[in-house]
Amino acid sequence: MIVENGREVLIRVRGLAKSFGSHQIWDGLNLDVYRGEILAIVGGSGQGKSVLMRVITGLVVPDAGDVGLFGQNTKTLSAQDRLEIERRWGILFQDGALFSSLTVLQNIQVPMREHLELPQAMMDDLAFLKLSMVGLPPDAAYKFPSELSGGMRKRAGLARALALDPEIVFLDEPTAGLDPIGATDFDHLIRKLQQTLGLTVYMVTHDLDTIFTVCDRVAVLADKKIVRTGSPTELQRHPNHPWIKEYFCGERARAASPGERPSIPA
Amino acid sequence: MLKRDHQLVLPTQARAPGFRVELRGTTFRLVATGAWTVAEATQLDTALKRLRVPIPPTADFTGEMDIAGIAEIDTAGALLLQRTAAAWEKSGLRTRYAGATEAFRILIEEVQRKGRAERPKIENRGALQFFTEDMAKTLTGVWHDAVQLTGFLGEVTAAFIRLFRQPWRFRTTSFIHHLDHAGFRAVPIIALICFLIGAVVMQQGVVQLKPFGAEPFAVNMVAILALREVGILLTAIMVAGRSGSAFTAEIGSMKMREEIDAMRTLGIDPMDTLVLPRILALVVALPLLTFIGDLMGLAGGGLMAFAVLGLDTSNYIDKLRDVIDFQHFMAGMIKAPFAAVIIGLVGCLEGLKVEGSAESLGTHVTSAVVKAIFLVIILDAVFAMFLSGIGV
Repeated sequence: MIVENGREVLIRVRGLAKSFGSHQIWDGLNLDVYRGEILAIVGGSGQGKSVLMRVITGLVVPDAGDVGLFGQNTKTLSAQDRLEIERRWGILFQDGALFSSLTVLQNIQVPMREHLELPQAMMDDLAFLKLSMVGLPPDAAYKFPSELSGGMRKRAGLARALALDPEIVFLDEPTAGLDPIGATDFDHLIRKLQQTLGLTVYMVTHDLDTIFTVCDRVAVLADKKIVRTGSPTELQRHPNHPWIKEYFCGERARAASPGERPSIPA
Repeated sequence: MLKRDHQLVLPTQARAPGFRVELRGTTFRLVATGAWTVAEATQLDTALKRLRVPIPPTADFTGEMDIAGIAEIDTAGALLLQRTAAAWEKSGLRTRYAGATEAFRILIEEVQRKGRAERPKIENRGALQFFTEDMAKTLTGVWHDAVQLTGFLGEVTAAFIRLFRQPWRFRTTSFIHHLDHAGFRAVPIIALICFLIGAVVMQQGVVQLKPFGAEPFAVNMVAILALREVGILLTAIMVAGRSGSAFTAEIGSMKMREEIDAMRTLGIDPMDTLVLPRILALVVALPLLTFIGDLMGLAGGGLMAFAVLGLDTSNYIDKLRDVIDFQHFMAGMIKAPFAAVIIGLVGCLEGLKVEGSAESLGTHVTSAVVKAIFLVIILDAVFAMFLSGIGV
């Protein structure tokens, strides 16, 4: 276990480099994610925000650098340890990535079936509980993903990500494609689940509203590395970087920042 | 997963979940210890199910879930605790929690609240009912398809006739493009297949006719079979698999991305731009491909005739000349444009039926190929009856 400033570091990324063809997206990228925080990764398009998530979760292999998860370096992990770690995180892909041939209930039970041997009644209980926790009505359980709206698919995807009560949840653009009301609801949901389940949330987002209402810390990807981290208001007050300035002090950011409107009580 | 103390890493021994039930004064206590997480849920579930629900002798007995000894808990653990507490409540014990941290309390309360949701009933249909319903659905589906296809044939015919009045509507570029893709580029594969089948039929014919001393008649068989049936059927099936599916995939993916709606709003008729060029290209290409198929079938037969019968080329051609009539050739060739229309219609119609998702595209491509091949074979059978009826 790595402890820094009195907080446990769950994810530690050091010296990451990755190129696609001749295009280098990062060079010496460092990042720490602490237990219990909601971290947002922001950055212009093409800076590799989603790729970073895929590197941390092992879907993409970096050219150089180390990724540490729960204090273990992923390079030296055995297959068994890797499986143990995969049980401790949940991932919500952009459009939910639900398995289209399974019902929502079966989708939520996939990780349980894969990793554990639970009795069917217990799995049903748990799946219905998760469904209700992400705010879906019980009759969504027997529907197929194609019968759900985009927002409901995201919620169902989140329920699957939470199936095994993970410690970290990765969210890839959780509010993209949702209407403002749906997006606000989803923000509240993330905050609520984070508090009830004691989650650590790593999210890739563009949504300034989400950043200002739910995120504890923001990491900014620019110039091939994480140029700054800090709370949203901190970054807004002292941008110290042209991109951050444009992002956090632009017209949209002013509208979203808590000074301009009542913030949501935590 | 919530831990009582995050700095503490539990040794395996301390993770072992457990509980005991004791009676202290007038309070039944469930004292839980260890890790109550989803990994231990199976074990806990069986143990808790075996536990007898205490029956209070008098009304002033209460229940208590003492969770001070729990080091880790998640929703599965909370669910199990909650289930036990609910059972105790039901038997008349007022049950409360003791020893919960703030985080534990929030989780347990949330599980309590959310676990109450009513579950929908799924109706269980019997096998017979299921079978009947499925059968009825399939049969009405076939009828529905037939109606749709006929309607579409009408639409395409109307659009085709309109071309004569308004010839500028004809998309030459698109027509040539599809002629190239569905026709010219299909030549090698169709030539190869027909050549091989011609050779195989000749070889088998000779083997089977030899005991009767009738092996020279294998040439008659191959010649007539190749011209009347094999050439057209193989070509049509190959084109259905190659181009019919491509039509569905192309039009379907355009439908999926709303391109067809965009076309309509721009005043472009998809019938003119997408459907007609494809069907007309097939109507031109399929007879030409069939002709190549016929020739290659005969060539394949010729090669085998040389190998197993010792007939050289000029003898083979002489023999063909004796056997083959123009009628045989036409009996095969006449089917080609009809098969082309069927393949084109089915391919385009299935493409237009695609809805928003990629799965829908997949199912429609599959069904386009299956339906096209099925209909081509039906067509062949109908023609066989008709032609033998008129004595050709």
